[in-house]
Amino acid sequence: MNLKILLSGDGGQGIQLMSDLVCRAAIQRGFFVSHIPNYGLEQRGGVSLAFIQISDSEIAYPKFSKPDITLILSHQAEERTAKFSITNSQFSVKDYEEILKKNNIPHQSYNMFFLGLLARMLGEKGVLQREKVFELLREKLEKKPNWEENKRAWELTKNIRY
Amino acid sequence: MKTNKKQFLTGAEVVVRACVDAGAKMMFGYPITPGTEILSHWIREAQSRLIGGQADKSLKYLQTEDEIAAGFCMCGAVMAGEKTFTATAGPGTVLMQDALSMADGMRLPVVVIVVQRGGPSSGTVIYSQQEVNLAIHGGNGEGLRLVYSPSNLTELYEYTRLAFNNAWKYNFPVIVLSDGFLMKTRQLVDLEKIKIKNIETEAIISENTQKNIRNIYTFEEELGEKLARDKKDFEKMAGEVIMSEVFCGRGQVETCPYEELVIAHGIVAGAAKEAVNALRLAPLAQGKKVGLFRPITLSPFPAKELNELAKQAKKIFVVESSMGQLRDLVKQNLEVAVEVSGLYKPAEGIESEEIVKLLNC
Repeated sequence: MNLKILLSGDGGQGIQLMSDLVCRAAIQRGFFVSHIPNYGLEQRGGVSLAFIQISDSEIAYPKFSKPDITLILSHQAEERTAKFSITNSQFSVKDYEEILKKNNIPHQSYNMFFLGLLARMLGEKGVLQREKVFELLREKLEKKPNWEENKRAWELTKNIRY
Repeated sequence: MKTNKKQFLTGAEVVVRACVDAGAKMMFGYPITPGTEILSHWIREAQSRLIGGQADKSLKYLQTEDEIAAGFCMCGAVMAGEKTFTATAGPGTVLMQDALSMADGMRLPVVVIVVQRGGPSSGTVIYSQQEVNLAIHGGNGEGLRLVYSPSNLTELYEYTRLAFNNAWKYNFPVIVLSDGFLMKTRQLVDLEKIKIKNIETEAIISENTQKNIRNIYTFEEELGEKLARDKKDFEKMAGEVIMSEVFCGRGQVETCPYEELVIAHGIVAGAAKEAVNALRLAPLAQGKKVGLFRPITLSPFPAKELNELAKQAKKIFVVESSMGQLRDLVKQNLEVAVEVSGLYKPAEGIESEEIVKLLNC
């Protein structure tokens, strides 16, 4: 097994943080993990990509163009990731905007919703424990502003259909 | 858990670990993407390192005004007997050449971590394999440098350790030629399994002894003779340090027969291994007799090993993230008549699928 995950969003949306948590949770399950960030010259406002691989054997090369799972957190990221093969497991902010708005999830917490979604899917695939991701997330963000909102966005993904 | 001894580290963190473990005491550097984190991690290490609960102040650093200064400062520090290194990339590697050429001429044991980025000029800040020529032949003179090309984080650690040992053993500049992908990638690595004994150093010049190490000569014969001696030393070193790898698929012996030979170095060799695996393991009827040859030292180049393999190859495919810098090295060293073609993608990554496609054409 070598699961390839591409996360994309605007710089500052926490793409690399999300990758870090997912990788650490997968490591806890004993998997080989590889993460490589990709961003442009901009200090802010550019597109941020994270290439993650979770595998049961050593990973020889960090990049890929055919992700098994793709997360797209912004319109800009949609354009940037268009060249990657479309997979069935593609989750874009545009497909979930209605749910997010209905539940009054503030824009800055959208990333936690998608992290929750990703953690659930990866949990179901057995590559990590969803609760482990939350534990790592709480360690990182509990004392930071908007924790309640972030937690609510995460929890919204518990029973959602995807 | 299978991961107790393994650590989740980036390439830059691995380099700093290797330099500390090699006994390096000093880094001079000027920040440049994608190599900046080597400098910042080294500074953090120098400021926070504890030994037995006590602050260890033995690691030093200086951010110089540019790469030219970093290179010459490094030359000075090694003369005082300290294992010293720098790290740079792209246009920084260009500026570093003046000092590297002096280190070559004065036989100074300097170590440079080069993190290749796209060129020419500022190019991109991301990745390439376009600094091969620069690493070997970037200075005026004959390019008597030892150049390692690691293809994963474990090797990045190992060859950085070897770089210090061989710089101080043979007194030639050593370059660890990595790239932006390798430096930014974070993977699980087990560095404790790599056991390398560190070489002892001695001051090349001390305050009490007068010694004149020259980098300029009055008569042409003098320089000619010196270069002949250096070349002889370099060739002697070559016999002891040259490294290469042959890969015929996981679990296959290196002597397996093959018809097509892929040649790649650095991180691209990682992708090439995946490709060789995929091609070898394809259903029998389609299973290709393909192997990978990977020079680990680009200078001195493993010419003998290449020619041994080339004898049985019907075709050679060079795969690299440059327009042919590795191909030129291969052709320079190839003594067997065999067709050479390849896949050249300057400053772009190469995935295993592309290599599979190339060989299936």
